[in-house]
Amino acid sequence: MNPLFLNNQVIVYLFSEAALLALTILLFAKIVKFLWFWDFRSYSNRQLKLEKEAYLAMTIATLLFTLKSVLLIFFVHTIDKLSLIIPGAMCAAGVISANSYGMDLLFIKLTVIFTLLLFLIANSYDLQAKTYPLFRFKSWVLIIASGLIFIEFFLDISYFTHIDTSTPVSCCSALFGNLEGANPLPFGLDITKLLLLFYMLYLGTIIALTLETKTITLLTLLLFGVIAYYGVVYFFGTYIYELPTHKCPFCMLQREYYYVGYLLWGSLFFGLFFGVIWVIMSQVGYNITKAKWASMLLLTLFVALCSLYVAIYYSKNGVLL
Amino acid sequence: MKQILKILLTVILLVVVAILLLSVLKKDAPIVVVKGNLAQKPLPIKLNKTNDTECAMLIKTTRNAAEVVAPDGRTWFFDDPGCMVKWLESKPFKEQVKIWVHTIDTNRWIDGKKAKYGVKDHTAMHYGFGAREKENNETIDFKQMQLRIYRGETLANPKFRAKLLGK
Repeated sequence: MNPLFLNNQVIVYLFSEAALLALTILLFAKIVKFLWFWDFRSYSNRQLKLEKEAYLAMTIATLLFTLKSVLLIFFVHTIDKLSLIIPGAMCAAGVISANSYGMDLLFIKLTVIFTLLLFLIANSYDLQAKTYPLFRFKSWVLIIASGLIFIEFFLDISYFTHIDTSTPVSCCSALFGNLEGANPLPFGLDITKLLLLFYMLYLGTIIALTLETKTITLLTLLLFGVIAYYGVVYFFGTYIYELPTHKCPFCMLQREYYYVGYLLWGSLFFGLFFGVIWVIMSQVGYNITKAKWASMLLLTLFVALCSLYVAIYYSKNGVLL
Repeated sequence: MKQILKILLTVILLVVVAILLLSVLKKDAPIVVVKGNLAQKPLPIKLNKTNDTECAMLIKTTRNAAEVVAPDGRTWFFDDPGCMVKWLESKPFKEQVKIWVHTIDTNRWIDGKKAKYGVKDHTAMHYGFGAREKENNETIDFKQMQLRIYRGETLANPKFRAKLLGK
């Protein structure tokens, strides 16, 4: 048996995920039933029962969102701690790259949280209306979320069973830093152009959200997400670590850096999520200004935080890295 | 105000597209390392666009070329098996790597640790160790080739060259 399954944090994590999977199976069965039999115009006993069960499903989905968000933080914290027992790893970067499932798992986890957040927002507007106009839409969102949670659990198991504790993995410096001349940036960009795009796209996203142009908002949000990731890893992160050669998206989650990574990545991802949710909800006829403002505020916080690290470093040392 | 924002957004989008186009269309920097080769297979070399990691020369032919694949899928390219051995010497993961060499007799990629090496061949950096699939009277195995490079017993060493070739 893989010795990782004897690690306390891994055991707690996997049992929690298994419990949530059981809830998801229940939720999935209920949603399929709703989609099949739901008829709001009917006064039958079955419809009344379904409406009561719908509240149970909503409660489960809310619980799933809350626990999945907590578990994502716990997962990141766990893999960070596992770097102490996996040879070669210095932080979560080495552990997550220990096999090909790690990054896919992280991506699926973020997507699950996004879909559940979309459900919660759609649900709150659906409950305010008298006729449940978004019932089918939010049910399909939950079907997608359930599917993603099934895949996530499969990846959870595959990821932890395929970590070999006897084979050294690469540390973040080998994965992101020492690339021996290769350009890690997308589209052949260099750092100057990357930074130009970073601020341009941020400004573009804010303006697109203000003007409420759906397609351009979606486009700028997605592009900003990609550029912001590379911006943090290859430029802003070096100012957090105060070391030009330290390029890692995970080390900033550690105590040495005051856990700033959680705030930084959290503001970016939730800023993007709220923006995309605003676009999707606008598409189904709901202009949710709160989501729009949340997106603008969180993205502004993210950009301000990134820029602040550079400004503080410059004010202290008089030079840039 | 709305009109100004619209104009500003258009300008921003045009600048973003221009930056992306300029970056994508600019001449590619030489390839040094390729990530993600988890299957540890030999990768096709983009000739004249790939750098040898050790000697920094552009690789112009697959003849005698070599590749090293780390367990995490990173792949490095070499124009001469000698460069590959010298580069690998200081690497902590040298025992775990998969080595591929392009043979001069069968003209294909084979396992570098199982290949046989001539000692008087013409190779890009003049080490003289041409990779072969078939053994002959003059070939040596990987371990011997490695040892000779560590000792400097290659055609690049004038004294050893004179001894081996008589010139």
